[in-house]
Amino acid sequence: MNEAFACPDFQPKLHKRLLKHILREIPRNDGTSDPNRVVIAHFAVLGLGILGELDCISDAEKEKLISWVYSLQVVDDDELVSGFQGSPLMNTKENRDKNAPYKWGHITNTYSSLAILLLLGDDLSRVNRKSITKSMKALQNEDGSYTATRLGGTESDMRFVFCAACISYMLKDWSGVNIKSMIEYIHNCISYEQGFGQIEGCEGHSGSTFCALASLYLSNNMDQISDVHKERLIRWLVNKVNYGFSGRTNKPVDTCYSFWTGGALHLLGAYELLAPYEVHRHKIMYTQYKNGGLAKFENYPPDPLHTCLGLAGLSMMKIDPLEDIFVPLIITRKAHEHLKSLHDKWGDSPEENEKCLVL
Amino acid sequence: MSSASSDEDVGTEHIFYRDKPQWKDIHPISQDEDEPVVAIDYSPEFTDVFDYFRAIVTKGEKSERALALTQDAVKLNPANYSVWQYRREILKELNKDLHEELGFIEAVIMKQPKNYQVWQHRRVLVEWLNDAKYEKDVTEHAIQKDAKNYHAWQHRQWAIKRFSLYDNEFDFVEKLIEIDVRNNSAWNHRYFVINNSTGFTENVVDREIKFTLNQIKKATENESSWNYLRGLVLHTSEGLSGNKYITSFCEDLYTSGNRSPFLLSLIVDMCSEQVSKGVVDTEYKLERGKALCEELASKVDPIRTNYWKYVAKNLEKCAETCGDFSKII
Repeated sequence: MNEAFACPDFQPKLHKRLLKHILREIPRNDGTSDPNRVVIAHFAVLGLGILGELDCISDAEKEKLISWVYSLQVVDDDELVSGFQGSPLMNTKENRDKNAPYKWGHITNTYSSLAILLLLGDDLSRVNRKSITKSMKALQNEDGSYTATRLGGTESDMRFVFCAACISYMLKDWSGVNIKSMIEYIHNCISYEQGFGQIEGCEGHSGSTFCALASLYLSNNMDQISDVHKERLIRWLVNKVNYGFSGRTNKPVDTCYSFWTGGALHLLGAYELLAPYEVHRHKIMYTQYKNGGLAKFENYPPDPLHTCLGLAGLSMMKIDPLEDIFVPLIITRKAHEHLKSLHDKWGDSPEENEKCLVL
Repeated sequence: MSSASSDEDVGTEHIFYRDKPQWKDIHPISQDEDEPVVAIDYSPEFTDVFDYFRAIVTKGEKSERALALTQDAVKLNPANYSVWQYRREILKELNKDLHEELGFIEAVIMKQPKNYQVWQHRRVLVEWLNDAKYEKDVTEHAIQKDAKNYHAWQHRQWAIKRFSLYDNEFDFVEKLIEIDVRNNSAWNHRYFVINNSTGFTENVVDREIKFTLNQIKKATENESSWNYLRGLVLHTSEGLSGNKYITSFCEDLYTSGNRSPFLLSLIVDMCSEQVSKGVVDTEYKLERGKALCEELASKVDPIRTNYWKYVAKNLEKCAETCGDFSKII
């Protein structure tokens, strides 16, 4: 088998170099990332975390990163737009430390901000947990799904349900989620193929499937997946793995699905069914770029998302020297342990939340 | 519909907002960021436009010139949801012709068919107009470019459901399956249309099973059609092993020497059904299921060896506790 699947060596040093560079700057032609720079930072920090290379960021740089993330926190209980912005796009000298039109938190960026803070070892003491949860509650729609920002600015689907679940889990406060309604939404998104779609009626997609399962897992509701459904879902997922991972039936394999499809199987306790992993790994290795980073397909330019999720996918295959990840939150196991120690400190009393610093 | 692509700046000299006389009264406002992380090396045009965008949002200006500015801003970054949102505020305030805006967004969608924000903008406009007469055309164009564009399918399904546009939809999907029987998005749409129109009545399920078996014949290793078949059977009480069309089709195919993993997998599940019911007098026995799993693991589908071993084990467990429905695999 080894010879048949001879593939390029894994290049952790090159990936580290690229991710470190991304933390400083990204190319001009990536202007579309402008409103969501926090997400790009998240991919870079998480990627370095999975590589076990967070120490390559100096303490001073870590401090700078943490301050930057906190500078994007919005606390606004009147408009219910608390959370983290994705970039300082709407920040001006005049509205510094003040609320202003279009200074809104965005649910994905709030999730990414919290993840960055945890990965860098911050104690979340400057996070206004209460306001974020209160605003997040206003983002849930009647059908149980979530939108990303207030005031009708964005679409609603399973991705944002996942973000809401992650935020609630990280802040140890589920008061921003009507869990019954969330579960109903997740159920309604089961396609006849048994995977989940982004919204009701949509084609089964392993990205939405991961988001659905992780939301159930984090809210302690995995028993909502019946035994019958579980086995059918495992079949659908393993059929998405053919010398690499794809996300939908009859779609080509793509690096990021090594995480979405693999992660969904992991949450069902069925990842080991893919062993031996070498046959699936080699396709990902071919998407490594000569100057570092992973791409969607072979001979494509690398990008932060595929680099980070590709590394997360490889981590589940236990490749040296990659760190273990806590799959449902897509965070390193170390960062999850750090979170757990914070949770222990916070205790169970909701009054503790009151003591959070206000921005 | 009018198209915004006609006003491309090709060949014309770029004029910065700071040099435009009609913007003299506005003071541009830069982004407030002391020590940037993930810094973008903005082009001078980008900085210029967004400095003026911040200025009009701060001022709350909703005017023709502000509308034109948002058009430049979304050209530079169609993924900026704040710009789209502010543009909608202006459109409302100025009571603009939304049909014209539909034409504009159609042109943007054709250039950026995989962008969430552009489809969201279109969806809000259609809601405001309460008119979805162009939605089938727009999504069809996007689907012609990429038959599996998730955004386009999602938008089409939303419009169809919201405005009850089921007429001719079946023909549309039939054509797509004819063009590419492996187009899973088309199969999913077929299911969507039936589920929300006629529903899966007994007659419909019978018709669909016959149609699907015919499609399977054309490409026996096509997972899409096998998955659709499984989806249909969920609407019957007889299961896979209780449907004569399906069982005889599968047996004939197997006898003819076909070894599609999806065929074998289906027969394994037929065995599982019968074993779990404790039926003895059947072709679908534990031993046959196990033998098929072995064939799949070793010859037909060796990339999933561990999976097929797992299925075989489940089948055995099922036989031990046969008749207990809660443990059906």
